[in-house]
Amino acid sequence: MNEETKTQINAKYERELQRGERFWPDSIYKDAIVALGIFLLLVMLATFVGVHDSPKADPSDTSYIPRPEWYFLFLFKFLALYGQIPILGKIEWIATVLIPGVAIGILTLLPFIDKSPHRYYAKRALPLAIMFIMVLGIVLLTMLADYPTVAHDGSGLPGLIQAVAGLVVPAIVYIAFTVMAYTLRERAVRAITVTAALGGALMVAFTVLAMVAFPLPAQETAEVPATLSDQISAGQDLYSIHCVECHGDDGMVEIISGVAGLEGKVVSIINSRDVLYTVNDASMAEIISYGRPDSGMPPLGRAYNPEGLTRAEIDYIVLFMRYTWDDRFEAPYIPPLYPPLAEGEVPTYSVHIQPIVKRYCISCHRPGKDSNAYYMDTYANILNSGDNAGKNVIAGDMNSYLIQTIQHTEILDADGRVLVGVMPPTSQLKPDIIDVFIRWVMGGMPE
Amino acid sequence: MSGSNHISRRDFMKLTTGAIGGFIAAVIGIPSIAYLISPALREDKAGKPVSVANLENVPVGKPYPFSFTVTRVNGWERTSTAYGGFILRRSADPADVLVLSSRCTHLSCRVNWNDEAAGFVCPCHDAMFDIEGKVLYGPPPEPLGHFEHEIDGEGNVIITPVEIKEG
Amino acid sequence: MRALWQKLYGWLDERIGFDDFYKNLLDRPEPRGNWWNTLGSASLFLFIMQVLTGIFLTVYYNPSPDHAYESILYIMNDVQFGWLVRGIHHWGASLMVLVVFIHMLRTFVTASYKYPRELTWLVGIGLLLITIGMGFTGYLLPWHQMAYWATTVGTAIAGSVPFLGDFILQALRGGPDLSALTLQRFYAAHIWILPLLLGGLIGFHLFLIIKHGESHWPDKED
Repeated sequence: MNEETKTQINAKYERELQRGERFWPDSIYKDAIVALGIFLLLVMLATFVGVHDSPKADPSDTSYIPRPEWYFLFLFKFLALYGQIPILGKIEWIATVLIPGVAIGILTLLPFIDKSPHRYYAKRALPLAIMFIMVLGIVLLTMLADYPTVAHDGSGLPGLIQAVAGLVVPAIVYIAFTVMAYTLRERAVRAITVTAALGGALMVAFTVLAMVAFPLPAQETAEVPATLSDQISAGQDLYSIHCVECHGDDGMVEIISGVAGLEGKVVSIINSRDVLYTVNDASMAEIISYGRPDSGMPPLGRAYNPEGLTRAEIDYIVLFMRYTWDDRFEAPYIPPLYPPLAEGEVPTYSVHIQPIVKRYCISCHRPGKDSNAYYMDTYANILNSGDNAGKNVIAGDMNSYLIQTIQHTEILDADGRVLVGVMPPTSQLKPDIIDVFIRWVMGGMPE
Repeated sequence: MSGSNHISRRDFMKLTTGAIGGFIAAVIGIPSIAYLISPALREDKAGKPVSVANLENVPVGKPYPFSFTVTRVNGWERTSTAYGGFILRRSADPADVLVLSSRCTHLSCRVNWNDEAAGFVCPCHDAMFDIEGKVLYGPPPEPLGHFEHEIDGEGNVIITPVEIKEG
Repeated sequence: MRALWQKLYGWLDERIGFDDFYKNLLDRPEPRGNWWNTLGSASLFLFIMQVLTGIFLTVYYNPSPDHAYESILYIMNDVQFGWLVRGIHHWGASLMVLVVFIHMLRTFVTASYKYPRELTWLVGIGLLLITIGMGFTGYLLPWHQMAYWATTVGTAIAGSVPFLGDFILQALRGGPDLSALTLQRFYAAHIWILPLLLGGLIGFHLFLIIKHGESHWPDKED
């Protein structure tokens, strides 16, 4: 840039200042209003949306699907799509290092690459068009981030459409820009503008196609117990599923009885001071996780048992034990699972059955699990879903499969094979809970 | 735009800017103070009675040291803190018992019983208390605190682990 | 009373020079701005909010794998207004990345990176990258599943650099896997290294803006 252009730019800026405003208060006033808006937005988000945490980190849980912060999602998707390109896609560092590196490098050195002195948009078609396609790509890739690249039937079509929207079209548009800039020179403005508009429209069209043709699969959102009393309740749920059989409801069992293979084994009385005062939380969690294989206790943690509990779940069990049995701890108020039933009262789904099902059944009976396709996640599904739909709960019928299995009676088919096993498979519900189910079914299963 | 109008518009902008600044500072400032002092506002739930000794083992006329721990839930951590004290049987009567805290009332060092001096000696700042906990000399402003206690049928001394200050 | 106040003001003014401040910093002429010009100050406001809420969070937060998650639960459930402080910090982080990015776009669209503001742009890109780095390091600190696995993948991306990959990966993680060392160094980066860099560069950025003045909105002459 020569001195003359610099003088021109400075003179123009002086003229702008002449008819301008003052930093204080004119500019700061606007800044303050924007700051107030942002502040109110933040307070509203903190108050009404809050922060959604996932469970505690568990290095032994390899089944967790990572998901970065939203502003990295586009990069995440870009890597996924890039990896599908034959041959080139296997050279990982091109996508992870080279392309982002070049993009950031160009952005950084922009003032030295774009040396034209012009600032008016009509005189800057090429840089604006490049940036437009780049930002549009980032936005579209972010929107596509949660859409899988492989369809249910294993076809790669969704990934292909996404790749066209996010990789192929932008690449072609960029090549076209380069060709136009070099061949058409000054007359390139219109061609570039048209190409950018066309390319952008194509990108949006393919994104919409990818989203409509292969809609987002329903996602399980696991609720994370966030308060101490929630965690203790969760621990109690888990204890009642995994521990009760051997250790008993109150942890007082000393000699196991009625458990196949472990009959007569001597176990520690886990609600005793001897255990609670001498074993700290970390050791307790390790014992639950690794088990005591030599003494017969199976490993319950995912680190030693692929279908086992996560670290967070084990921590909840430890919390439940501490706050229930350790006399040094004062448990916070924990609301009962369901309000107690009066004599002759018929329980309802929403008040009684739902919390019980959530604690004892839904871990297996939900979409994505086998369990005879009997899903207990909604009222309608409990009444009518699965391989034995129509037989699981029948109003007023004590032979309903649900009622029989929770009382540990197997359902046999015509050939005498087990059709439905006892429920829950490894333990039996408490009599008062079985009573709630019986009253509910006999009373016509009110919602 | 007339001159006076211009000034009032400027003043309006200044005023609004100041008001916004003040509003944000207040909405951030007041919760911040509550946030910082929050642990001080919780009530201390320690106070389950603990059995610290049996009268059989406590000689008459000589302070008998004991200690106990109190476990408090402090945020994400549970801390067991040890406290100590002395049981003094003034006479053979099981009811005539005094349970003193070993915490010096000056700056919370732990006092020890010294047989030769016949008093509780604080090792930090050369203070001394008599057998009943009264200050003999040194900087402590008040006598040693005590614990409320009960003696059950088997002679166990059960104290409420909340130190009661004298005077 | 009033005399005392005037005396105090006079004494301070003599030594600090409020008039100079007023003339050079506040009473500056500027081109006529529009609302797009507030994005920079909005970024600064968000930075200040993040610093304040961040400092408050360190009062209770514990950067160790054993207690990080529990200490955040404590902040959210037991500390008065803890949910507000953490909520503002959490959402402020997202908003800051967004606002800084849009600020960059605005500067690009109005071509404000051109003479004489090339250096301001360069520093600005540094600020954008550090802001993203703050987001990346801060995301691990709650030590929950999402954070743990996202950081595993994020650091693995840096580990895919040819030849130096393994070295970079281990330097980032403080070992071959995510561990207490990773959490501790991310914490140090998040509360000391990156914010100090960010603060210093913001100072330089502001100095350059005051020196050259805000760019004007380009018209046909430009």
